[in-house]
Amino acid sequence: MSIARVDGFLMARMLQNGLNHIRSHEAEINKLNVFPVADGDTGTNMRLTLENGLKYADKTPEIGRYLCSVSNGMLLGARGNSGVILSQLFKGVYQELSRADTVCAADLRNGFIRGYRVAYQSVIRPVEGTILTVAREGVENIRRQIGRSTSVDTFFSMYVAEMRKTLSYTPEMLDVLKSAGVVDSGAAGYVLIVEGMLKFLRGEILDGKEVSPAPVTAAPAPDLDLNSFNETSAFEDGYCMEFLLQLMKQPGYLQNFRIDDFTAALSLYGESLVAVQDGKRVKVHIHTKTPAKIISCAQQYGEFVTFKLENMQIQHNERIRKLQEEKPRKPLAVIASADGEGITQLLYDLGCDVVIDGGPTMNTSTEEFLEAIGSVNADHIVIMPDNKNTIGAAKQAKLMYDGQSAVTVLRTGSMVEAYFALAMDVRDSKDTDFRVSQMKAGLEDTHTLAAATASKAYSSGGLEINAGECIAIADGEIVCGSRDLTDVVIEGLRRMPETANASGLLVFRGADVPEEDEDTLADALSGAFPDLEVSIVNGGQHLYHWLIGLMN
Amino acid sequence: MQATQATKNFEIIVDSTSDLDEYFRQTYDIRLLYSHFTVDGQEENACVDWSRITREEFYAALKADPDRFKTAPPSVGEMALCMEDIVTSGMGVLYLTISGSLSGTYEFAVKARSMVLDKYLDAKIVVVDTRRFGPAIGLMAVNASLLRAGGRTLEETAAIIEADKNRYHQAGWLDDLSYVAKTGRLTNAKAFFGTLIGIKPIGEFDYNGLTTVLGKAKGEKAAMDVLLAYVKATITDPENQIIFIAQSNRLKQAEKYKGMIEEALHPKAVYVKDVYCACGINVGPGLMAAYYIGKEISSDLSAEKNILKDLIGG
Repeated sequence: MSIARVDGFLMARMLQNGLNHIRSHEAEINKLNVFPVADGDTGTNMRLTLENGLKYADKTPEIGRYLCSVSNGMLLGARGNSGVILSQLFKGVYQELSRADTVCAADLRNGFIRGYRVAYQSVIRPVEGTILTVAREGVENIRRQIGRSTSVDTFFSMYVAEMRKTLSYTPEMLDVLKSAGVVDSGAAGYVLIVEGMLKFLRGEILDGKEVSPAPVTAAPAPDLDLNSFNETSAFEDGYCMEFLLQLMKQPGYLQNFRIDDFTAALSLYGESLVAVQDGKRVKVHIHTKTPAKIISCAQQYGEFVTFKLENMQIQHNERIRKLQEEKPRKPLAVIASADGEGITQLLYDLGCDVVIDGGPTMNTSTEEFLEAIGSVNADHIVIMPDNKNTIGAAKQAKLMYDGQSAVTVLRTGSMVEAYFALAMDVRDSKDTDFRVSQMKAGLEDTHTLAAATASKAYSSGGLEINAGECIAIADGEIVCGSRDLTDVVIEGLRRMPETANASGLLVFRGADVPEEDEDTLADALSGAFPDLEVSIVNGGQHLYHWLIGLMN
Repeated sequence: MQATQATKNFEIIVDSTSDLDEYFRQTYDIRLLYSHFTVDGQEENACVDWSRITREEFYAALKADPDRFKTAPPSVGEMALCMEDIVTSGMGVLYLTISGSLSGTYEFAVKARSMVLDKYLDAKIVVVDTRRFGPAIGLMAVNASLLRAGGRTLEETAAIIEADKNRYHQAGWLDDLSYVAKTGRLTNAKAFFGTLIGIKPIGEFDYNGLTTVLGKAKGEKAAMDVLLAYVKATITDPENQIIFIAQSNRLKQAEKYKGMIEEALHPKAVYVKDVYCACGINVGPGLMAAYYIGKEISSDLSAEKNILKDLIGG
């Protein structure tokens, strides 16, 4: 079907289909909601906002008039951050097309461009990786390909395709999404609405039947456990406050209302602020810990038409509880012990489930390993000790463990070996045996040089080392000593036969070594071993100044 | 190897995502449609050469700030103009596009085709979604040209390419997976950490052209050995095919890989090729991979994963 123009009647049916589409996926969108606060209501809020817009819409063939009524209805019914932004997107579309009876693809393109601009303006601190980005890139990326001859269905088809592409990138733009493994919920909701509109043009009429169960309103879900907030609870998330303020002309109210001044004042008391003025009414959404300040600020100008205040901490706590309950059993979990913030973070980044703080002495106990085993929910657990002395404790923990999981203790004699073993894991493989064999392959032919300070004098095999001198330990054996830390590393590597066949060095910098020493060591290593690729990372370990893995 | 002109009755189009440089385009008579990229908001044609920026400058800038760069396909209008130009000269068109799972190019090309067909009812235009990206498309175009030179019609060539497209393999490593993960070119991107120091993730195409990590090897030498063994296990009829090796800032390793493949498999030719801007933005520095025709790739890559499991995990 090729549609050249859209009037008010057609737009009404398209938007109804858009509403039905998001209604079908409401629960799914709610589950995505982690930003700005994980209160799990984005899908519901967007559905309710659009629903209200359509409820108050005029039945008219003039698209400008129709969109005006939808936009007003959405503003009145806007719920939550995403609902307010959605209402602003449509407000912009209406503003652009307000005088039109019917519109073509190029008009719609201009409308959606104005839409995202108005939406950006309504947010005090626009954040990329959200509905704003998707709405902007979706239309900007195709704007030059839309002309007077483009059909309306082609426009929507391209708009949706571009938005879906940007949507898939949102986790890369917002860390909170990335760590939760989700795309932005508001953006996903908006894409669904527009996709529903497109589906109508393609003849796919949606009934709005829920794909998965969803709460009926944005009010606290029926199963919300109010006990999840009590006298000992932390209160960090504050309240979600929304209200519609009627600006008053009566004496006793300030008459010089300016939206910019108002938002500047409110922004002192909260986050995620969206405030939009429509004539003599102002819609506000804000997250705050001090609602009284917001109320008194607002009442200088007028009185509340509607008002909502929710304790977000309850929603947050409840969500965490549900996530924990829903935490699926993993096929394989990895437990490591390590010393050093940098190494610990690296191990977590590589997919470690638990990193036990081995402390400077790197003496993780059997009890600590047992506790870690008990904290993961997996069919198979792999343990990676951080030195040869703790392998025994890990094995003892395996013997004492009486749970259902299979436990494998890898003979990782250093944190370098643990790194290589974990880096070799193929985490998306469903074959657990393969994953374990990959980790074991990471251990093969791995050699470690550690540089430390001798705590006492040492004499053996022709080596005479004084207490306080630097020593190089190759795979557990002291191989040389020197007063200079860099010299001892170079000489230690020269004495390791494996250095000749190595292709690179992975170097962990210790907690007591200044960052600028990285350059000094890198220069010395490049001078002594020009063919080796050197990578230095902040390990933060305490016992060894430098911990070096040889890569073959 | 020169493709003859005598039997030519259709043109082959690729865009910049094919990474097919001028030598191959001239030798095999393949037409290039520029894709675009933006750097700091300024749009440029994605050249398949280093005339506007050197390889070193480009990869250094990309590494320093990948977010400065974005890619975009040729517009529907540009595609339609190119197709129309060919059609009005009495020729058919075969456009090989990057995988529809990675880009809207295929959809755009179908729209462009429809626009041209509205004006020229008898025009012969075939658009093939290659389900691949990068040098695999370039190799496909070269093979299409050879089919054309062998007297195949547009329809026959397109049918053969369509039937064979899931036999185009990628056997290589990618040092930094963050670029393919970020641009949606990696399956299960969540499961991977960007750069793995000292570890080489071994990648292959899945059906949709997304790179999938089959396994990992520790160190370059082990990775080279595994890759060669993997190519041996999956390639078909190596003596009668051209193999591309693409590399982004890994020239030394690519030359070594080339030597190993030539010695072990005796293909017609092995070419080491650059990864230019359009693909480079999406794969980043550190790609070193061979592209060749082999056994049909299994739908879930289980067969290929098993091969690698035997080679690495034992």
